[in-house]
Amino acid sequence: MSNILSVLLQATNTADNYFPIGIQLIFAAGFVATMIAVSALLGPKRKTKEKLENFTSGIESHGDARQPVAIKYFLVAILFVLFDVEVIFFYPYAVNFRELGWEGFMAVLMFVAFFLIGFIYIIKKGALNWED
Amino acid sequence: MAITEIIFWFLSALAVISAIMVVLSKSPVHSVLWLIAVFFAISGHYVLLNAQFIAIVNIIVYAGAIMVLFLFVLMLMNLNKETEPQKNLWMKLTGVVSGGCLLIILISLVRQATEIKGKIAVTKTGDIGLIKVLGKELFSSYVVPFEISSVLFLSAMIGAVVIGKKD
Amino acid sequence: MPERAELGVMNAIIFSALIGVVMMLGGIVIKSNAGIKLLAIILLFILLGSHLAEYYDLFNIHIQTHGMLAKSRFGMFFNTIIISLTLLYVLLSGDEIVKVGTYGAEYFALIFFSLCGATILSSYNNLLMLFLGVEIMTIPLFVLTSSEKKNLKSNEAGLKYFLMGSFSTGILLMGIALYYGGTGLFAIEASKAANEAQQAFRILLPLGLLFIFISLSFKVSAAPFHFWTPDVYDGAPSVFTSFMATIVKTAGFIAFIKLFELRSVDMGYSWKILLPLIIILTLLAGNITAVFQQSVKRMLAYSSIAHAGFMLFALYNPNDFGKQGIMLYTVAYSLATIGTFAVLTKMKDYTYEGYNGLAKTKPVLAATNTIFILSLAGIPLTAGFFAKYYMLASALKESTSNLWLVIVAVLFAAVSVYYYFRVIQAMYFKDGNAETTEIKPFFKTLLIIIAALIIVIGLMPSLLLDLFYA
Repeated sequence: MSNILSVLLQATNTADNYFPIGIQLIFAAGFVATMIAVSALLGPKRKTKEKLENFTSGIESHGDARQPVAIKYFLVAILFVLFDVEVIFFYPYAVNFRELGWEGFMAVLMFVAFFLIGFIYIIKKGALNWED
Repeated sequence: MAITEIIFWFLSALAVISAIMVVLSKSPVHSVLWLIAVFFAISGHYVLLNAQFIAIVNIIVYAGAIMVLFLFVLMLMNLNKETEPQKNLWMKLTGVVSGGCLLIILISLVRQATEIKGKIAVTKTGDIGLIKVLGKELFSSYVVPFEISSVLFLSAMIGAVVIGKKD
Repeated sequence: MPERAELGVMNAIIFSALIGVVMMLGGIVIKSNAGIKLLAIILLFILLGSHLAEYYDLFNIHIQTHGMLAKSRFGMFFNTIIISLTLLYVLLSGDEIVKVGTYGAEYFALIFFSLCGATILSSYNNLLMLFLGVEIMTIPLFVLTSSEKKNLKSNEAGLKYFLMGSFSTGILLMGIALYYGGTGLFAIEASKAANEAQQAFRILLPLGLLFIFISLSFKVSAAPFHFWTPDVYDGAPSVFTSFMATIVKTAGFIAFIKLFELRSVDMGYSWKILLPLIIILTLLAGNITAVFQQSVKRMLAYSSIAHAGFMLFALYNPNDFGKQGIMLYTVAYSLATIGTFAVLTKMKDYTYEGYNGLAKTKPVLAATNTIFILSLAGIPLTAGFFAKYYMLASALKESTSNLWLVIVAVLFAAVSVYYYFRVIQAMYFKDGNAETTEIKPFFKTLLIIIAALIIVIGLMPSLLLDLFYA
């Protein structure tokens, strides 16, 4: 019994376990692709000029939709990436929480402290204020 | 051919083809989408190599966050047909020649290494890529680089605020 | 190996990171430019104090680094030099730094972080730390380069620097990966056991080293990887160019020497062909192009490439002469460059014509600037002469077959005299009304002190080199 259990536990950590995920990915992508393909093949096609125009609530469309976006979005996005990377590092720590003990805790605490200072800085500078 | 091998070759082909498409696509948005395909293929490779943590990080950070940044940059730049830069033919030619030289060196190097010949990647063995083992290493042997990297993040934060914020 | 590794972290690294944090938070509290500058100077004194305390074994923080960092006399001495130089630089140009934009405190914080990267580069023992050091040192520079937001040239320079810099960092990472493939180690010192286990893949090692070599050549702007330098140095705000051309560049050389002193053997015979070629190309690209420049700032950018050519001698011959020489060169070149750039930032017009008649309007500036420029040209009685002398001597000491390389270098040094003397000619022998911004007596005093230092070191280089062995 314990033998089977240990085999099972071992099994949770090899690439084989990702096989179902892979199958699911293939199915998900395949489903979407089939649906699009089938609806394109079976659906009726009437390519008149009016049909192909962009729908803008009845008003005639003008200009280009591709306007440069405000830099604010980019600032938020880049700050998001930085904190995203920080959070990623918690994961290997959390898995080893007990074994690493106080030393590991201090390491993480220091890391977080640096980020917290960065966060305070960002808030105080008003980098996340939308209206300015 | 075992199923692992089939997956290996499939992922390799996917990665190489998508990478070529990144360069060849006319529209930058398509390039970004192909790049996401490259990241997924490489994540698949990581899983095959039992490096699960890296596989997940690759998808979350690179395919997720960084690609969003790429798209933002594309939208910031307002790329139109008219503003597309003119590419010099000579420039392209030099690029091909110098890149080809590097490729020849790399290929000849691998061919010279008789010990490596015939060996393929060792898949599904080793546990260094597992999250638990990796975490232990990261917080013991590699704790100093880990802490120092936070300085890097701080300077990136300051940089984002200094350059990105309206005065 | 616990008896060796473990005292690796240096005060300079920890303190420079922490004072960077204090500085960026200080910017929130302190609003006046004068206050920010004062805080930066106080913090730099604290940094210097903490570093010297460790240098003289009074106080240091012990951290288990697992062999990531290794303390060496060479690195410690270099850190003393760069921290002192940064202090001098901030004292001299602090006013200009806060004037660049609205983020005075941030600029100082970025300079401190960059300094933190430089101190890591002087003590790394592991390629991961090399990578982190290079990144921590250069990322703040991308920001500083484009900090003059209203100036299109500054923006362009920042973007160019960022793109080229991240590309070369990619090459560095590739090199580190191949190095790891070849040796199974990130450590720069070879361990026998690991090496034998990896014998089969050893063929990857030279290629990995070549990639690292290319990337680091880029960082120190050695030809043919120098094309970014003139545009970036020219486009960046002058005060920050001064920092980039001195402290950052020399730190790049220290990182370079630290790795290849141990590892150049692994590149085999190609090392002995590759490096002289790069030295000559760098000297050629720097000196010849500098001759044709109309702007003094751009000329100085090219001349910094030319100086990189000389500093590469220390990489080619890392013997005693080479090591003492790189220290001497760091001091001589950085002092002179910080000085000329300080004068340059005060000028209204950066072209040679802008310097016309400076000797009449501002005699102190003209006189000190002459000394800086003589030192850059390597005229005897200035520090620059001995710096160049040690570099060339290191090549001859290694082998007399390097004589041709030395002769070529001397010829290029002669070429450099032409474009340096054009500045002196403009200041003393041309009529004009050189316009400067307001100059404080403190600034003049500092310039005189730097000029005096250059002459003292030029007369007695042993004063500095004795400190190295003290």
